[in-house]
Amino acid sequence: MTSLGGSSSSATEYTVRVPKNTSKKYNIMAFNSGDRVNCSTWTQARMERDMSARRIYGEEESAEGAAGSEFGKKHREEARRKKYGIVTREFKGEDQPWILKVNGKAGKRFRGLKKGGVTENASYYIFTQCPDGAFEAFPVHGWYNFTPQFKHRTLTAEEAEEEWGRRNKVVNHFSIMLQRRFREQERGGEDDDDENEKSGKKKKKGGGRGGDLRIHDLEEDLEMSSDDSDSSMGDDGEGKTKAKKATGKGKAKKKKRKSSDKEALEDSDDGDYEGLEVDYMSDESSSDEELEKGKSSKGEHHPKGIDEASESEEESEEEKQNEEEAKDEEEEEEEGKKTPVQPEKKKKKDSSGESESSDDSDIEGETASALFMKKRTPPKRGGRGSAGSSRTGSRPGTPSIDSASTSNTLSAAASKLEQGKRPTLGPSTDSPAAKRLKMEPSSQSPVPSGKSTPQPPSGKSTPSSSDVQLTEEAVRRYLIRKPMTTKDLLKKFQTKRTGLSSEQTVNVLAQILKRLNPERKNVNDKMHFYLTE
Amino acid sequence: MSDKTEVNLTGVKQSKGVWLVKVPKYLSQQWDKATEKGEVGKITIGKKQGKTEVRFSLDEELTALGDVGEKDASLQVPRDHSFTMHTVDGQTMAVFSQSSADEISLEGMVVHRAECRPVVSDNYMKLKKLQIKASTKPQRLSQQLERAVTTVFKPVANHDFNVEHEKKKKSEGKMVRAERQVVLDMLFSAFEKHQYYNIKDLVDITKQPVTYLKEIMREIGTYNSKGAHQSTWELKPEYRHYQSAEEEEMQTD
Repeated sequence: MTSLGGSSSSATEYTVRVPKNTSKKYNIMAFNSGDRVNCSTWTQARMERDMSARRIYGEEESAEGAAGSEFGKKHREEARRKKYGIVTREFKGEDQPWILKVNGKAGKRFRGLKKGGVTENASYYIFTQCPDGAFEAFPVHGWYNFTPQFKHRTLTAEEAEEEWGRRNKVVNHFSIMLQRRFREQERGGEDDDDENEKSGKKKKKGGGRGGDLRIHDLEEDLEMSSDDSDSSMGDDGEGKTKAKKATGKGKAKKKKRKSSDKEALEDSDDGDYEGLEVDYMSDESSSDEELEKGKSSKGEHHPKGIDEASESEEESEEEKQNEEEAKDEEEEEEEGKKTPVQPEKKKKKDSSGESESSDDSDIEGETASALFMKKRTPPKRGGRGSAGSSRTGSRPGTPSIDSASTSNTLSAAASKLEQGKRPTLGPSTDSPAAKRLKMEPSSQSPVPSGKSTPQPPSGKSTPSSSDVQLTEEAVRRYLIRKPMTTKDLLKKFQTKRTGLSSEQTVNVLAQILKRLNPERKNVNDKMHFYLTE
Repeated sequence: MSDKTEVNLTGVKQSKGVWLVKVPKYLSQQWDKATEKGEVGKITIGKKQGKTEVRFSLDEELTALGDVGEKDASLQVPRDHSFTMHTVDGQTMAVFSQSSADEISLEGMVVHRAECRPVVSDNYMKLKKLQIKASTKPQRLSQQLERAVTTVFKPVANHDFNVEHEKKKKSEGKMVRAERQVVLDMLFSAFEKHQYYNIKDLVDITKQPVTYLKEIMREIGTYNSKGAHQSTWELKPEYRHYQSAEEEEMQTD
């Protein structure tokens, strides 16, 4: 080693040696700086080749020996491969990845993949300084990039599936996320850490999960229809948004349930669920409702409580596009109940100038929808009145029933009745549709049918699905229960249900009232009838 | 699967720092020609106006681009090179070595990266030109012939292969039907070795005419028309008894 003492520059000279006889092959082990690998902290390390690829290569070896083998199979296979030009790469042990285990079983694992093309155009040398000051240069034989390997792989497939499912949009998202969360909660914090590691970001997952029920600004936005939130979330990165989404969706789900109960809607929800085939909603609510339906029905078709019926009617008359309405429509469609093409008819309802049939179908639809919705929350009574009146007003041939002028109509009808007109009742059905209380349907049905002369309802489609009997008994029951206006009574006996035309209904009702002679009282400037028993 | 090798961590423990140097191909070629001692050149590390400068100069003997010993080769490899140093912030690199006995040891950590660049000279340019010319030469070459090749593809009355074939046939003669029992024995011993056979292979093995052989096979075996072993014959289940030890018990007529 000669040192040249220079004037402006001081330089030291070293000899470079390239040892010839090295039996050792030098390789580079490269880590990503983000992994923060510090080799000096390693106490112990083991390294081996990852020979798992050999299976793939060796798979063609079928059973040798007598059983299962063919004569000359190898030759044939070889010939076949040559013919098709299939070139199979040999399994080279030298090129297989390394598996590095640091600090024993509990420590880290790394997988080192060989980097190709390192020695093709330029050679790498390792220069080390010897004790005597000279440099020794060793050629680099191979380059391996080592990446850390994690133990928890169980979630990747699941996550990938989820991610894909989210993009798919028509999948039951909520339950997936919920289930996953439950599962993860069971598994404990282990997965949390893992996912944090994986995403490489600090997730608020723990926080997010804890704050499940906390109202979040973001979550309210997420609360919209599943699709919207999905699409928006799908575009965002994972990690944070995923966590939020999980909580958001859970929240959304809960919120939806609540809202369905209370009917407290946000404007943004309008029309969101129309025509959507979201399994979650229909499954849940319909299952709920079916349960309820099962409870309430006594093996008959659609028994309903009066309140329920009135509620349902009132609500269903509403033309607001509620969740429930939409849900009902979907459920009805899905359930394939006896109100087919109901939503269309409902929509038709919007347009004025309706024919009777559509109106009737509306009414029928309303009751049907009422059946499926167990909890029909506070009806919009205000709107109902107007809607009812407008509806009835649009019927041709029906005198417009004003809230104040119901009685007029009835009186007029009653006077007509005095002339001895006897409207007919529809064919009796066994199902006491609008009544939850135990009726005596069997006793009921023959009675009115006995009473009525068998005149077919004029110009009316034979109501195959009439469930309500416009009978004295029915009216009496109603009036005993609570005071009602004539309009209310009319609502009870919907034309489609009873199989009578509206005029007939009016007439019959007037007649019945005449017979019953209920007491009257004025409530809210309206004439209410009631009976005391 | 090879056993896990314990990695010798002494190099890392001592925090031996090494340099990873990228060296041009021609230089490494010259280095390969070095003598036993291994000296290839000298490195000069100096400080010029505050900046660290590393220079490498190749030994005189190694500058010739031909075989060692020829001094007056047409081209000479440039002697002076400079190392450009880089830091290794992006990657943590370690060096591990594998001995012929499959012992792995960690030699050290890379502290600097360097690229060895020659000081540009005319010599170097000429060298590079040569290299480029050599590399751009296509591997395959189309060459026009002045005359057509007449040595092959002459019309022949009978091709060599055919002649051979006919001769062989004549010598062997037609296949003679051997005794049934003899054939059966041959078949059974063949099926001892493999389970599935093509009829052609069986003909080859037994040297029996096809119809006769098929008759016998129909008696003792079945034909697979579909499945993994298509169009092959195998023995009937009652005739075969394949075991891992390849012992078979067969029923004979």
